[in-house]
Amino acid sequence: MSTPVIADPASNPAAEPAVVKGGPTLGQRVTSFMPVIALVALLTALTIADPDFLTQRSLTAAVRTSAPLVVLAAGATLVVLCGGIDLSIAALCSLSTVLFAMWLPDMGGLTILAVIAAAGAIGAVQGLAHVLLRIPSFVVTLGGLSIFSAIALVISDAGPIRVVDRDSTKWLNLYVAGYVPMSFFVALLVVAVVSLILKLTPLESFVKAIGYSESAARLAGTPVDKVKVAAFTVSGACAGLAAVMLASRNFSGSPTMADNLLLPAVAAIVVGGTAITGGHGSLWRSLAGALVVTLLRVGLPIVGVPSAWEQILYGAIIVAAVALTLDRSKVAIIK
Amino acid sequence: MTTNLQPHPETDASAPVNALEVRGLVKHYPGVKALDGVDLVVRQNEVLGLAGENGAGKSTLLKALVGLVRPDAGEIWVRGEKVRLRSVVEAADHGIGMVFQEQSLVPNLTAAENIVLGSEGPGVRRGIYRWDTMRKLAQEQLDKIGSHIDPLARTDSLSFAERQMVEIAKVLRIEERTSHPPVIILDEPTSVLESKEIETLFSQVRRLREFASVVFVSHRLDEVLDVCDRVAVLRGGQSVGETPTAGAVPSDLHRLMIGSTGSDDHYHEGLSERSVADSEPRLVVKGMSGKTFRDVDLDVRAGEIVGIVGVHGSGREDVCRALFGAEPTLAGEVTLDGAKLDLSGTRAAVASGIGYVPAERKIEGMVGPMSVADNMTLTKQKSRCAGPMVVPQKQATLVDKWIERLSIRTPHRGTQIGRLSGGNQQKVVLARWLVAGDIRLLLLDHPTRGLDIGARSEVYRLMRELANSGVATVLLADSLEEAIGMSDRIIVMNDGRATKEVACPSGGKPTPLDLVKEMV
Repeated sequence: MSTPVIADPASNPAAEPAVVKGGPTLGQRVTSFMPVIALVALLTALTIADPDFLTQRSLTAAVRTSAPLVVLAAGATLVVLCGGIDLSIAALCSLSTVLFAMWLPDMGGLTILAVIAAAGAIGAVQGLAHVLLRIPSFVVTLGGLSIFSAIALVISDAGPIRVVDRDSTKWLNLYVAGYVPMSFFVALLVVAVVSLILKLTPLESFVKAIGYSESAARLAGTPVDKVKVAAFTVSGACAGLAAVMLASRNFSGSPTMADNLLLPAVAAIVVGGTAITGGHGSLWRSLAGALVVTLLRVGLPIVGVPSAWEQILYGAIIVAAVALTLDRSKVAIIK
Repeated sequence: MTTNLQPHPETDASAPVNALEVRGLVKHYPGVKALDGVDLVVRQNEVLGLAGENGAGKSTLLKALVGLVRPDAGEIWVRGEKVRLRSVVEAADHGIGMVFQEQSLVPNLTAAENIVLGSEGPGVRRGIYRWDTMRKLAQEQLDKIGSHIDPLARTDSLSFAERQMVEIAKVLRIEERTSHPPVIILDEPTSVLESKEIETLFSQVRRLREFASVVFVSHRLDEVLDVCDRVAVLRGGQSVGETPTAGAVPSDLHRLMIGSTGSDDHYHEGLSERSVADSEPRLVVKGMSGKTFRDVDLDVRAGEIVGIVGVHGSGREDVCRALFGAEPTLAGEVTLDGAKLDLSGTRAAVASGIGYVPAERKIEGMVGPMSVADNMTLTKQKSRCAGPMVVPQKQATLVDKWIERLSIRTPHRGTQIGRLSGGNQQKVVLARWLVAGDIRLLLLDHPTRGLDIGARSEVYRLMRELANSGVATVLLADSLEEAIGMSDRIIVMNDGRATKEVACPSGGKPTPLDLVKEMV
């Protein structure tokens, strides 16, 4: 027992309709836009600090830099929504850049799809290990992180591999409508398509039910295991796509290329307001989070913050952003 | 009394000051008036019962009394002094403490640590635990209630009843904060206790009365009448009456709670319109074995309600879960309408038209932060989809239909289910299995646990209607009376085996005693 109910039907069965109007309040609506508000606030602050920041050139550079991070964070968000975590994304992405560079001479344009499929399959294996062997996702993907890094080092002979055939990825360096870098456009497309699939199908209900209460989801007969494996698969595939973006921009694959993206990706997810405990959040939030994280990385040096202060500000702003964006009415226990 | 000019006891100098008084308390939630001008008086050294249906405002009132909820209007007076309670600590400073319904002990700490947790006092010096002092402090608390629990026992090694004693000992620490006798609130303390443990608790409550005032909340009216001196009744957020317990009977209270005379046919036997004797057996279980049960035979006909009774550890819960594929089965053959049943998992069970209502509603039955609508359509996704796509309009129509049909009281289909009262939550959980109209077998594990009489009655009526429509039901009842009242047939389980079948037709019901003889 706990909470109240409108009226006692025994006393007044006819006059009180069973259903009355009532949606989210204004406050709740504002809370759901917090990640965007945080993004705009940051952009404004950077512009005030240096009016030259708000130019087309620096913005274009910033969103192009952000594209791999957006894709990585978007994929991992699915796993987080299911109540797990995927720590392997950055290592898997590095491995994928190596695979990309190695396969390109033989496979040409198909390499992009092959790398994404391979990374997706590796993600699926992690998902299966988590579900079938009942090992916490944190542990499975921590193991994966180490394994993938090592494999990447071995097959690449611990060094970068040059991308020889630049034609098959040239399109990624084009611009949509003249201004929007193609890689960022692809990242947006990934977020939009995955979000739309979630929204339009029962998957969103499944993912949220699993994230909030896996036992309840299981006893309601939802396909818990399939959904979780699917989340890890998409997360892996996103790591593969991010690898294609990185390799095509750097014209090489390297066993450590994406390693420094793991913590920024996790930061992007939480800054977006997705609950790290699962259930509450969205890919759109992670997109906003990834942009905040990238703007901080790119923007602070541009506006002339000394490099020591850069790290301090970065940390402080991440914490402050989470304070703003986390919708505490949806998350029972803050851990 | 020396004068008639000042009739109010709290202004009459010679009358004892009330331990606690609530005047015109109001609390709104969006779309809901939880408290609508509640008045309540708790006298010194009395046990006051608080009764009311789910949603009557009991929880909100109790939370206001311990500072967890801030009322929109109204006053709280403690021993003739108006107070403002903004937190549990402030409430404790005024001598008000609560034993929570969902226990608030940390399971991996010792009883002693739990008792002093948050008010360590001399138990900690310079930031270091002083185990001797802590143990002594805890022992003092346990002595107050005459408990023999070892203060150094880990809390999770204690029984439920023992943990409750630890909670009471912990709450009594508020005596250190105030020189006055404390007010102890017990919220549904008996809901998970066995009858022997309940007796221990009651003697404890009577002991508390010697030096404290007690507010006792329970759904079981006979208990309220047994242990309390006086009962106050809430309905729809208002105080609707109070009565001394001496000479009162449960139906008096019941009448006050629901605002009309309770029906004699509590289990709606009159609604049962089918004769199930000659219908085909729907569920047939032969020699089913699992980890905690062996060689169970069971059959349920279409339209029949079969109760399974047994003491704790009889394995009946596991039989129920095994039939839903949520518990592994080691051997046995199970058929549903003649077809072999796949017991490998819950997905297969759902696909076969089996529904399961778990006993732990809040943890297993529903997804608290999700909406009423999404909870209701969680299982039968096809009911709100066209092809692979969700059609919001289809879902809205369907959910609104079931909200109306089951008179689920919710502000909106989009409201989080966690915000509804227990009875309404349970109706949503039940509706989950009904929306697709393909349910053949319903497994109900304590479907009325934690519900008040009114909500129970509605669940019973729903069960009857489902049976009339041909659904086969397996019922693990909350009490023997409920099993007898609702079932057409009762299976007794003992140590993991089905040992006895008792016919239970309307007009020829066994007594609880008949069943108890078979259970032990």
